[in-house]
Amino acid sequence: MSTLQVKGSVNRSLMAGLAALVVGGGLALTNLISSGHASFNTSSSGIIWGLPVVGYIFFVLISTGLTFVASLAMVFGFKEFYPIAKRCIWVALVTLVAGFASLALELGHPFRMLWAIPMNFQYLSPLNWMGVFYAAYMVLLLLKFKKVNSGDWNSSGSKILGIASLVTVVIAHSTLGGVFGAMAMRPMWYGPMIPLYFLLTAAASGAAVAVLITYLTYGSENSMPPKVKSLMQGAMSKAFATVLAIVILAVVSRTVIGLWTNADGMQVWDHIVASYWYWVEMILLIAAFVMLLKGGSPLVPAVLAIVALFIGRYEFLISGQLVHLFAGAWVTGLIDYTPSVTEWMIVLLAFGIVLAGWAFGEKALNLAAEPAVQ
Amino acid sequence: MARWGMVIDLDKCTGCQACSTACQMENNRLPGENYQDVLYYTEGKQPTPVLKWFPRPCMHCEEPSCMHVCPTKATYKTEDGVVLIDWDKCIGCKYCMIACPYGVRFYTDEKPLIEPNVKDVFKGDGELSWNPPYKGPQQDNSKGIGIQPNGVVSKCNFCYHKVSKAPEGTADLSNDDPAMREFVPACVRTCAPTARYFGDLDNPKSNVNRLISAKRGVRLLDHTGNKPQVYYLSGGAGPAVPSGRGGANNA
Repeated sequence: MSTLQVKGSVNRSLMAGLAALVVGGGLALTNLISSGHASFNTSSSGIIWGLPVVGYIFFVLISTGLTFVASLAMVFGFKEFYPIAKRCIWVALVTLVAGFASLALELGHPFRMLWAIPMNFQYLSPLNWMGVFYAAYMVLLLLKFKKVNSGDWNSSGSKILGIASLVTVVIAHSTLGGVFGAMAMRPMWYGPMIPLYFLLTAAASGAAVAVLITYLTYGSENSMPPKVKSLMQGAMSKAFATVLAIVILAVVSRTVIGLWTNADGMQVWDHIVASYWYWVEMILLIAAFVMLLKGGSPLVPAVLAIVALFIGRYEFLISGQLVHLFAGAWVTGLIDYTPSVTEWMIVLLAFGIVLAGWAFGEKALNLAAEPAVQ
Repeated sequence: MARWGMVIDLDKCTGCQACSTACQMENNRLPGENYQDVLYYTEGKQPTPVLKWFPRPCMHCEEPSCMHVCPTKATYKTEDGVVLIDWDKCIGCKYCMIACPYGVRFYTDEKPLIEPNVKDVFKGDGELSWNPPYKGPQQDNSKGIGIQPNGVVSKCNFCYHKVSKAPEGTADLSNDDPAMREFVPACVRTCAPTARYFGDLDNPKSNVNRLISAKRGVRLLDHTGNKPQVYYLSGGAGPAVPSGRGGANNA
């Protein structure tokens, strides 16, 4: 099985992941079975898509970003990224599963979806295209991982799978952007640049998670092979800093335009900027960027960025729904929403899938492997 | 084939909510899930405040964004212009609720608006989400009519179980014609000041078309491009189409 002497951090992650799976999954399923979606704090006259959808977006876009990182070596020829490429593909798979799990538990009929969508395909629905491309992406990723796991890094078949995975995920995340960007009736989400915004933030979250899992794998920089250490402190940090800078710019420009516009529904930006969490997000993003510029270990910036990006996903999804569509005079402000325990447990379950899935791969699938001849 | 539409004369509407009540009775609505709602707005300040009210059914749009986003075609438009939901195909993704500019859709599984939860008092039998002692005579899951199953979205269906039975070629469904009364939607039939009209928008001689033309009917949030088949008449004293979506504007 394992060809890598795993560190204690991997075992601890596996235990933590399994604990999150049991606690999160157990509580979420118990509540869902006993009370259905009444155990959510979502409502027809309030927030329609709640925290589990935030979790879905967060995890599938991490998956997208991890494929970008893996593609740096496998598609674009940046060979210094090879030592983390296999790990990135595996975790991309795991985060995709986590995202799907989070979404499935938000659906009224997740099993009906399996036949109802293919049998009645509505080609106009961005949601369908998102499903098609993310499903195709999952299959391609699996095939690519199978190739890499068998030592086939550079055959033409393996390269084509790598390119196909990248192209498919770029389209998939664009259709996810389209799910929101097409909603003219929800101005906070609306716009053709939303897929691009998702691409940027996906790249940042992928880079952050790639750094985090590399450090968790080796325990510390001192335990890393020289190639991995120089990658983390060199190319990875630079790529991460660059994409983080563009993300900060994108968030600031969205904020300024959001505050400026008078379109009905955009009042939510006043609320966002007045929120404590918005400033936590901004400070974490800027702090991560500055720390990366200063050099040294990218671990802390990665953790800060992951927290900031989760806040950002919440802010995007929930804030887009905070202004009532039609409400009478008894409503005197924005919708009040706090996720329920069940909703949090679903997200905890998804985190558990990621942690346990990654740690399992680290123990059993030799994720540190790289091609013998590059 | 008719293309059914509604006209609501806001100058005649008294905000009595008989339409909402009739709809609740006809369609077994739960508290807070009114297919047909009347919203009240207070605009302006003392000493010149204005109280407005606004009746709001599903708009049964010509270009329904709810239908376009539905991944399983559970939301569909009938040949006679009514937007319906096939509960047997609905996966409860709620994208239609996100995409509807009018906020007229309801998800079944939610916290009750008032306690005790009516669903707990009249528990469902597994098939239906609840089992009230009185049920409308019609249960048609393929059209979203009757008591909802769990995990699906529901909305106003223009009382399709009634209007779809109207004789071919009918121009207007009105209380004025005793032969047509059984086919008139519950909200139209019960409207005491006769503020509601229902008829064929494709028939130039229908009363709804005459009213839209003569009184300059307008459609709500027409800029979204959904092109509602519910028209509002206003212009005199009394209620008018609200200027915004409410909520944050009322703060």
